[in-house]
Amino acid sequence: MKRRSFVKKAALATTGAILAPYILPSGRLFASTGSRVVNHVVFVLFAGGLRNQESIEQQFTATQTGFSIMGNIMNNMLSGNAPLSNPIFTPWSPILTSPLSTQGSLFQELRYAQGPTGHYNGHTVAMTGNYTNTGLNLNINPDMPTLFEYYRKHTNPNKSAVNAWWISEGLGPYPSLNFSRHPLYGPQYGANYINPSTIFEGYGQQYLSDAKTYQPDDVQRMKTVKDFLNKSFHRAANEMPGVHNDAADSVNIKQFMADTYAKLANNTLPLPTPGGSRASLTGDLTNIAYSWQVLETFKPELTVINTFNLDVCHSDFSSYLEYTHRADYGIGWLWNKIQSTPGLANDTVMICMPEHGRNLSPNAIIDPYGMRAFDHTSDANSRRLFALMVGPNGKIKSNQVFGSNTAPVGETIDIVPTIAHLLGFYNDIPSGMLPGRVLTEALV
Amino acid sequence: MQASKFVLWVSIGLAIAFATSSCEKTIVQDKVYDNVIYDLGNQVVYTSASQKAKQKTATQYLSILYADLKQTTIPNNELTNLSQVNLGFGDKGLVNEILVSHYMNNPGVVLPTAAYMRSNLDQFITDTYIRFYQRKPTSYELYGLRKLITDDPNMTPELVYSSFALSDEYWFY
Repeated sequence: MKRRSFVKKAALATTGAILAPYILPSGRLFASTGSRVVNHVVFVLFAGGLRNQESIEQQFTATQTGFSIMGNIMNNMLSGNAPLSNPIFTPWSPILTSPLSTQGSLFQELRYAQGPTGHYNGHTVAMTGNYTNTGLNLNINPDMPTLFEYYRKHTNPNKSAVNAWWISEGLGPYPSLNFSRHPLYGPQYGANYINPSTIFEGYGQQYLSDAKTYQPDDVQRMKTVKDFLNKSFHRAANEMPGVHNDAADSVNIKQFMADTYAKLANNTLPLPTPGGSRASLTGDLTNIAYSWQVLETFKPELTVINTFNLDVCHSDFSSYLEYTHRADYGIGWLWNKIQSTPGLANDTVMICMPEHGRNLSPNAIIDPYGMRAFDHTSDANSRRLFALMVGPNGKIKSNQVFGSNTAPVGETIDIVPTIAHLLGFYNDIPSGMLPGRVLTEALV
Repeated sequence: MQASKFVLWVSIGLAIAFATSSCEKTIVQDKVYDNVIYDLGNQVVYTSASQKAKQKTATQYLSILYADLKQTTIPNNELTNLSQVNLGFGDKGLVNEILVSHYMNNPGVVLPTAAYMRSNLDQFITDTYIRFYQRKPTSYELYGLRKLITDDPNMTPELVYSSFALSDEYWFY
């Protein structure tokens, strides 16, 4: 009896020792699919550095000496009358019948509380939910896990990379934000990454658009030879850093690319400009156009996209205003597309937030209209930004505004926990990883 | 006395100087061999696949791929453009797969004919291993690939080359 009892206890102790490290903070052994608010989240980093003066406060040119025109140039996202006159650009009519702020919740004074207000920092903070002092580290993945890794690691059943996309307007350090260097996460939980301006509009078109489409028999032949060759080698290419799609997803992605190149060649690619004019495209709108192709094709559960043209404000305030207006149109267009597509409509939350603001005081550069430009050098004004959350009725509160300049509500680090909550895996993220909170004010 | 002391000290000094200058200077030179290589024709060849432990960078992969397929050096501007394409897509394996099929769909790839492959099978296989892997096939590899090609009348040099270019070993050196 004693021997039997000893063996039983030893077995239990061994099992416990093996399993203990895997027990989640929630007390469960395996991650469970928590109750989701929605099945799709689109996070738009309305980036490049946008001041609350030109967005929330709708001051248009009124902050410039000798100019006094007020008005809303983001009439798809925000409520408010357009400027009575516009000497800078020809405004586009709003694409939405009612602005997104009336359909959702607006955190009009959100804070970027710590760290330098740089573009890479701002993106990293928004996508990892942790403040960072890391500057412009070209092509180095962040230290803390990205939103994609939390999503893929803690969603049960596990989701392949085709469910998570990071789509950036430019290259630079941004390709590195689809996974982190964190030892418990990393590329095996990363997102698919694409920079459409390179892949579809740039050199990618030259080198990838005419790829040969092999018949299934030939694909199988290549696989047979490749498998034979790989058997003789001691290391797998899968060990290489980066995201790897499985065979089925790879086929679908290749087909997606071929289809998109065909639309481009046939001039049937839907464009987020009035009348679908290609001549009116900006870099931001190009990114939104191809982001829509990804959304429509894969209906990913988690998509993060950015805009970036607003950074022209370092030297050209007038163009900054115009790019802001155009990007706002793109957001309205994207929301219209989402809401008219089965599988995404009424099951998607979209969150829009700049990565940081810009300075209160201008620099010395004057644009052709005589207006002063603004940098972003971590002053208090560059830490002011907003977040707009819109989603299905009964899930996201509509027509709600939170926070004021003297009493801000929310921080940029709160977006990751909020998205984790919306997709039902927040409680499965180990405690201590995310210092932010869920922005419950916006949730019904 | 003064002069003899001076001569003595000078003699001692010269003796020391002579002794030190005549010491043999030992130069230690470390030769580090990444891989043991042998010349075979104009190619360097690994003795086995296990000597490959380092992963190619994206730039290395792209330039070597171009050279192996087209048998010429990649132009600088093309390498720059391709590096940008590589950076613009997250799944490097997938984007390289598409790139290989782009090359196969365009002129410039130096490919033997299927007839040559079948009539000189062992030579074709050995040449392909040297071309892509810089080593000779083992007898097992020679036998295995010979069987795969012989058993399938629709296997072409293009499919074999593509498989090599996309295999795991091709990513390492």
